[in-house]
Amino acid sequence: MSIPGDEQFNYSANRELESAAKVRALESLLIEKGIIGSETVNKVLAYFESNMGPFNGARLVAKAWVDPGFKELLIRDCNAACNVLGMTTGMSGAEGEHMRVAENTVSVHNLIICTLCSCYPWPTLGLPPYWYKDPTFRARAAREPRKVLKEFGLDLDNSVDIRVWDSSGQIRWWVLPEKPAGTDHMGEAELAALVTPESMMGVAKVTVS
Amino acid sequence: MKLQHSLGGLEGLGPVDFQKKVFVEPWEKRIFGIHTAMMGLSIHLKEALPEYPIDQVPTAFKDIWTWADLRRGAEAMNPFDYFKLRYYEKWLGGISGFFVEKGYLSQEELNQKTNFYLKEGNVDPTPLPQKDIPGIDEQVIKYLELGDSPKRDIDIQPGFVVGDAVVVKNMPAAEHTRLPGHLRGKPGIVDLVYDGCYAYFPGPSDGLGPAQPSYSVRFDPKDIWGEDLAEQGSTFYADIFEIYLDAA
Repeated sequence: MSIPGDEQFNYSANRELESAAKVRALESLLIEKGIIGSETVNKVLAYFESNMGPFNGARLVAKAWVDPGFKELLIRDCNAACNVLGMTTGMSGAEGEHMRVAENTVSVHNLIICTLCSCYPWPTLGLPPYWYKDPTFRARAAREPRKVLKEFGLDLDNSVDIRVWDSSGQIRWWVLPEKPAGTDHMGEAELAALVTPESMMGVAKVTVS
Repeated sequence: MKLQHSLGGLEGLGPVDFQKKVFVEPWEKRIFGIHTAMMGLSIHLKEALPEYPIDQVPTAFKDIWTWADLRRGAEAMNPFDYFKLRYYEKWLGGISGFFVEKGYLSQEELNQKTNFYLKEGNVDPTPLPQKDIPGIDEQVIKYLELGDSPKRDIDIQPGFVVGDAVVVKNMPAAEHTRLPGHLRGKPGIVDLVYDGCYAYFPGPSDGLGPAQPSYSVRFDPKDIWGEDLAEQGSTFYADIFEIYLDAA
């Protein structure tokens, strides 16, 4: 598997092994010294399996697609909308205290970036994928969003205005993608299954296939 | 000028990495978990929303650790190293350095233990120490559930209203900032005034920190990049703390 930068820099052949050994050493010492417990890291990771992940965002998107009143609330006050659906606890927790949703339409396409680091709405989307954290994406998407989206396979018509949102403050932005055609027969669960993390940050559209 | 504060619009870069995984190596999950635990145990949470009972948590960790500390470390790196090292490699360097700097462990201890686990071709399978401390786990999970909202109940009137023409300040580079470098000195229009006032973690030296108004500011890409480098048909928005804005 190719790792970003492999071709440009001279890495030790044992690069990954050294990091794996170092982080294990660190965790071992932190447990020995009572800074964390032996289950702390595992519990954190498990929390993201059950409580924070794109399954939450997908559910909100599907509901917004079928319920115009809910869609209006989601756009106006995302955190309040999360309370309406009886979702898991923690929807306004870490990295989700203040979330906002940008709506894609036939004439507006929204793209979320973080030029300063990798701010990402944890409760609704979970943890950010590597493409979002990539300094090349963060740098290029700011200035040439249309070109970058085309490289992602999303070729937008010139009539579509692209709005780039730089998450440089307290808000954790994400995107309400357009409901794809040919889905009128689908219930919310079926619709939610179509929604990808990429579509909820604006580098893809939701498709039926 | 710090490259890490000014990535936006950088030219001459190659293709984007389309990797969809959150973690590309299993070891990365561990440093993520450690960072999150540190944030959940940080002593600044005593004054957070809510006020966590940090003094009662049975941990030996008695320091502040927030996103600001992690970011400051990344922003302090030699910019060439910033591009050379992968995302979680930067975290591992910054966080292990922090624990050594604060005296929780020595570099020798860390090196010795790393060499123990570094066996030919694979990490030594010796299990981690068994020391379950539920009180620590409960606090960290609580932090994930309830968060650390920067919103503060302070009666400061926003200096700007929707539609105001503003200019992003061009202040001297600080160790850590939330001023996107590509917006320095650029003109924009206030698109949204966020309700309330927003603090930031302890640490920054450029005025960021005390609760203050915050805005969504709209920019014409031609004003940021110039006619030749800006794309047609796009608008740029950034969330900006009041300290970083002047009236145009």
